[in-house]
Amino acid sequence: MNTYINNLFFTYLPHIAMTLFWFGVITRIVKTSKSLQAESSQFLSKKGQQWGGNLFHYGIILVFIGHFTGLFTPEHFYHLFMTTATKKILAVIMGSVFGTAAVVGVTILLVRRLKDQRIKINSTPADILLIVLLLFEMGLGLISVAISAGSSVENYTALGEWAQKVITFQPDAGAVIVGHSIIYKLHIITGLFIFMIFPYTKLMHMFVMPIAYFFRSGYQMVRRGFTKLTI
Amino acid sequence: MKIQAQIAMVLNLDKCIGCHTCSVTCKNVWTTRKGMEYAWFNNVETKPGQGYPTDWENQDKWKGGWILDKSKLRPRMGNKAGIMKNIFSNPYLPQIDDYYEPFTFNYSILHSSGKFATPPTARPHSMITGLPMEKIEKGPNWEDNLGGAFKERSKEKNFDDIDKEIYSKFENAFMMYLPRLCEHCLNPTCVAACPSGAIYKREDDGIVLIDQDRCRGWRQCVSACPYKKIYFNWKTKRSEKCTLCYPKIENGEPTICSETCVGRIRYIGVMLYDAEKIMESASSENPVDLYQSHLDIFLDPHNPEIIAEARKQGIPDNFIDAAQKSPVYKMAVEWKVAFPLHPEYRTLPMVWYTPPLSPIQEEVESGKLGFNGIIPDVDMLRIPVKYLANMFTAGDEKPVREALVKMLAMRAFMRSKTVENSEDNGVLSGTGLTPAMVEEMYRYMAIADYEDRFVIPVSHKEYAFDAFGDKAECGFSDGEGCGNMENRLKNLFGGM
Repeated sequence: MNTYINNLFFTYLPHIAMTLFWFGVITRIVKTSKSLQAESSQFLSKKGQQWGGNLFHYGIILVFIGHFTGLFTPEHFYHLFMTTATKKILAVIMGSVFGTAAVVGVTILLVRRLKDQRIKINSTPADILLIVLLLFEMGLGLISVAISAGSSVENYTALGEWAQKVITFQPDAGAVIVGHSIIYKLHIITGLFIFMIFPYTKLMHMFVMPIAYFFRSGYQMVRRGFTKLTI
Repeated sequence: MKIQAQIAMVLNLDKCIGCHTCSVTCKNVWTTRKGMEYAWFNNVETKPGQGYPTDWENQDKWKGGWILDKSKLRPRMGNKAGIMKNIFSNPYLPQIDDYYEPFTFNYSILHSSGKFATPPTARPHSMITGLPMEKIEKGPNWEDNLGGAFKERSKEKNFDDIDKEIYSKFENAFMMYLPRLCEHCLNPTCVAACPSGAIYKREDDGIVLIDQDRCRGWRQCVSACPYKKIYFNWKTKRSEKCTLCYPKIENGEPTICSETCVGRIRYIGVMLYDAEKIMESASSENPVDLYQSHLDIFLDPHNPEIIAEARKQGIPDNFIDAAQKSPVYKMAVEWKVAFPLHPEYRTLPMVWYTPPLSPIQEEVESGKLGFNGIIPDVDMLRIPVKYLANMFTAGDEKPVREALVKMLAMRAFMRSKTVENSEDNGVLSGTGLTPAMVEEMYRYMAIADYEDRFVIPVSHKEYAFDAFGDKAECGFSDGEGCGNMENRLKNLFGGM
């Protein structure tokens, strides 16, 4: 690939994408936080939702954790526990298992959305396009796992190196993966595209994940009742 | 002791005629929006029947309410981790078909169609898809007046421990109406199960509400409520529920369902209770004890010590005054003729029911079976006492039997007084009633004047929040600031 284009996509685009992502996320949370919600269609049709919803969500969460820890853990840190070769095997196994779960799940959800009359009629084009986009991205991800499995350890290490160079603003970040397969590159570009449109989609429901539920008392009374205000 | 006030309701089923006026007025006021066509915050069921949504009383299926897990109370759906693991797909969530697919008829075809050999018909169309429906298979009141087969209707839970085959015979058939709305429980499972913390119980009047701004549509509350009185709006994808018409209640007016009840069966009043006893009461080991333990947390508003303590804790005088005149207190605590619906769900519901009397069976009239003294034996009533007990006291027949006897005695006493012009005190022996009590019961339950039925204190807004901040704001909007839903849909960021 042309060095200029390569640099544009893999040195500069990540920064542009993340800037847009955080700008959008913060703006949306500040301006319209009430619009954030899970947009569940389970109530209209249960069929396929249980397998699809669970496989996809649990799969994608584990895949996300895998990407995060795999790409951003510095080499000298994980060498305390394992060699690079072990880490690669671990990544390939976890990636293929959870990636497959997520792909199967999202495929079920896509089929359900297109086949079920009720869901189809009450879907917006954005709902359908988002699932297609996720399926495309995760499909590329699964293929790149297969490519990693069959290629050298250096090829695999370079990915982490690239990611760490990007977040530390190294100007030669893109050069690290210049020779990599086009599948990896498409996976990265699509991923960055998803980050860019993220704040304007229903993916934002991730930011209202009810973690606080674990920390609140089970029985709640919200309003103060008859205690006079002291202003 | 932590004294709190609750706006509670009693429905005198003895007088319910099943006219659905409550449901229709409620529908017109609260649930005519898109996504809520199927929802009836108030509905009237014919019992025996599986109800709306189908088989709602079967908690093995829907997992509503609480259970005791090693003597500790937890939602039947699971503990917090158990609820959260189902957040991507809730296996206990009813589907819209468990209620019914909302429909309308295409009337315009009657005007626009060309010439037919047969008259044109208006076909039903689904309000979810807009497509024509083959046939309507379900409605909000599908079993009205014993519609449908006994085999289907009798699948309901209240027939447990009853030899139900007897009641499939025409001469033994029985029925009653059961109007249902949100119970505004003292120990609501929906509140406990909501991951976003959007559902809350107001401290001053006990009304349970969903904050539409905080609801994120995780839909756990729908399964958590054992009465299935939380409805998922499939358009906005958030939950909605009965509000006990709080804008009216706050102004001292009855809810729309109570106001319009033609049978005058509904009573609204204040109950004072000890909030610290809630957990203990709901955790009674034996479900049969739950009715009594629920009664035990109510406080006597006439007791000077309670009044002094309530004042000290900041309960306004008009609430204490209303609690003293509360028709709910009289029926539930003084006369014990009203019962909670399914106390075994352990939510401590606050909409109570007076069990219905029913015609005495033919044998009595033909003289084959005698009366028990002067008033007939409650076992001769068409509706089996066990069936009522399964509904109102977790299967304990004694309190239901006593209430029915009191109501029969009241009738006999007042008949002797008004028809024969003589006070027959004999009918009251063994019922625990005095002539004065019967007169009062008669006034409340038979005459049921508006002022006696509804004793609602005007709420104290100044305690709730500082109204100055709301000055010059927009009034009721549907959520995201001022403006209507149309404008919000144009939101740059999408979403509702």
